[in-house]
Amino acid sequence: MEKIRLEICCGTTCFMLGADKLMRMETLLPEEFRERVEITGVPCLNVCMEESICRAPFVRINGVPHAQATVESVFEEIRKLLEKEEREDSE
Amino acid sequence: MAAGDLFVEMECRQFTKSGQNACGDDYQLLTLEKENRSIAVLSDGLGSGIKAHILANMTTTMGLHFLKSNVDILRSVETIMDTLPICEVRKISYATFSMADLRLGGITRIIEMGNPQYIQLRGTTEVPAMKHTRIVSQRWPDREVDCFETRMEPGDRLILCSDGVTQAGLGQKKFKFGWRRSGELEFIQKLIARDPEISAKDLAYSVAFQALSITPGKCLDDISCLVIYLRRPRVLRILTGPPFHKEHDREFAQLGAGGANDVIVCGGTTASILERELQKKTEIDLHLVKASGDLPPPGNMPGVGLVTEGILTLSRVCSLLESGQTENAPMAARAILNRMHENDVIEFIVGTKVNEAHQDPNLPMELELRRNIVKRLTSVLETRCRKKVVVRYF
Ligand code: FES
Repeated sequence: MEKIRLEICCGTTCFMLGADKLMRMETLLPEEFRERVEITGVPCLNVCMEESICRAPFVRINGVPHAQATVESVFEEIRKLLEKEEREDSE
Repeated sequence: MAAGDLFVEMECRQFTKSGQNACGDDYQLLTLEKENRSIAVLSDGLGSGIKAHILANMTTTMGLHFLKSNVDILRSVETIMDTLPICEVRKISYATFSMADLRLGGITRIIEMGNPQYIQLRGTTEVPAMKHTRIVSQRWPDREVDCFETRMEPGDRLILCSDGVTQAGLGQKKFKFGWRRSGELEFIQKLIARDPEISAKDLAYSVAFQALSITPGKCLDDISCLVIYLRRPRVLRILTGPPFHKEHDREFAQLGAGGANDVIVCGGTTASILERELQKKTEIDLHLVKASGDLPPPGNMPGVGLVTEGILTLSRVCSLLESGQTENAPMAARAILNRMHENDVIEFIVGTKVNEAHQDPNLPMELELRRNIVKRLTSVLETRCRKKVVVRYF
């Protein structure tokens, strides 16, 4: 099973608006999720300049950017993706 | 100081006599960029502790001033002797000193009174002085002043020290007469043979530490070792901020690919530009978050160098340097500070495009403009850290 790729922005805007908490994501994920998610840091996801202001912090999950990310919203997204994967596997 | 392709690295390392809270030796360093001159003065005040420190400090202050203003040597020495307060117990006023006045491409003078004789090394070979004169003051006939003239070639080192170094271990079985100048010289030659590029800072530290270690557990006298190293400069290049015109991205990124001894990329957008143009990828280990304090963790771009967040990290580096309190710096700031220390020339390549997101009023604090931070950094690096700074805008 392929791991879910979670990229966390380490840039200025995201960091100031809450990415510092997201960076600790790995320790916050429940055990059963941890093995199935690969978390990396990225210098800047380059959406801070384009997106309308104040939507940081950003993360990217399997290549898709998510704005105003919180630990809860990222966790929720990962849960959905994992569930979907499981459903597809059982079909 | 750098002239053409040369850089004069001057560093001093000291240890204070056990039980004293001030070092009885003092040193001062000065670079006269326009005159291609570097001046170093080291003095050992009579006795130890704060009194000795004051004597030594008065001596270095006057010595530096006289040398800088090209005052006649004899007159300088006499004025120093006349000015120092006389010790009530020993009825003498005393502070020994060594002064070096290095002129790139010209003659280097070394003036000594009572301090161990300097050492000049070319590689591991000692270079004798071209000229040596001894002058004695009529008013202070017991004080002999030695004046040496020599030429410093690229790669040469000049080492000055207080007698805390040469007399280290005095009275011990192995060192009846102390470590002596010969012991010190041999030690330095071995160090240079092992590491021909050893910096002035590391060499000064090694010598002072060795002198300290000869008598285990106790520092019997103030120890100072001052090293002047004339060498090709080491260049640290810091790229920060996206170029104003996108067409310049490639040229900007290429500057990260070579031409400096060390490269740091400060800023997320900046890192993305380099990644795109040089086809590289930054690796950031999020496990470092725990140790990275209140700044984002540093990363690494293979083949380029260190990558850090931009404005917050640079601002922090700047305020740490300005306050002089660089201990306990968060990881990313520490990594930058270390590289700044290790290099002589700091080249800032500053992209001037403003990141709109940084102007967002919802940010919890105001972000200083990149240009301002670079200006502040330039000033503190030049004045406090004696670095040469070059700034180039994109
Ligand atoms: S700082 Fe996060 S996307 Fe740029």
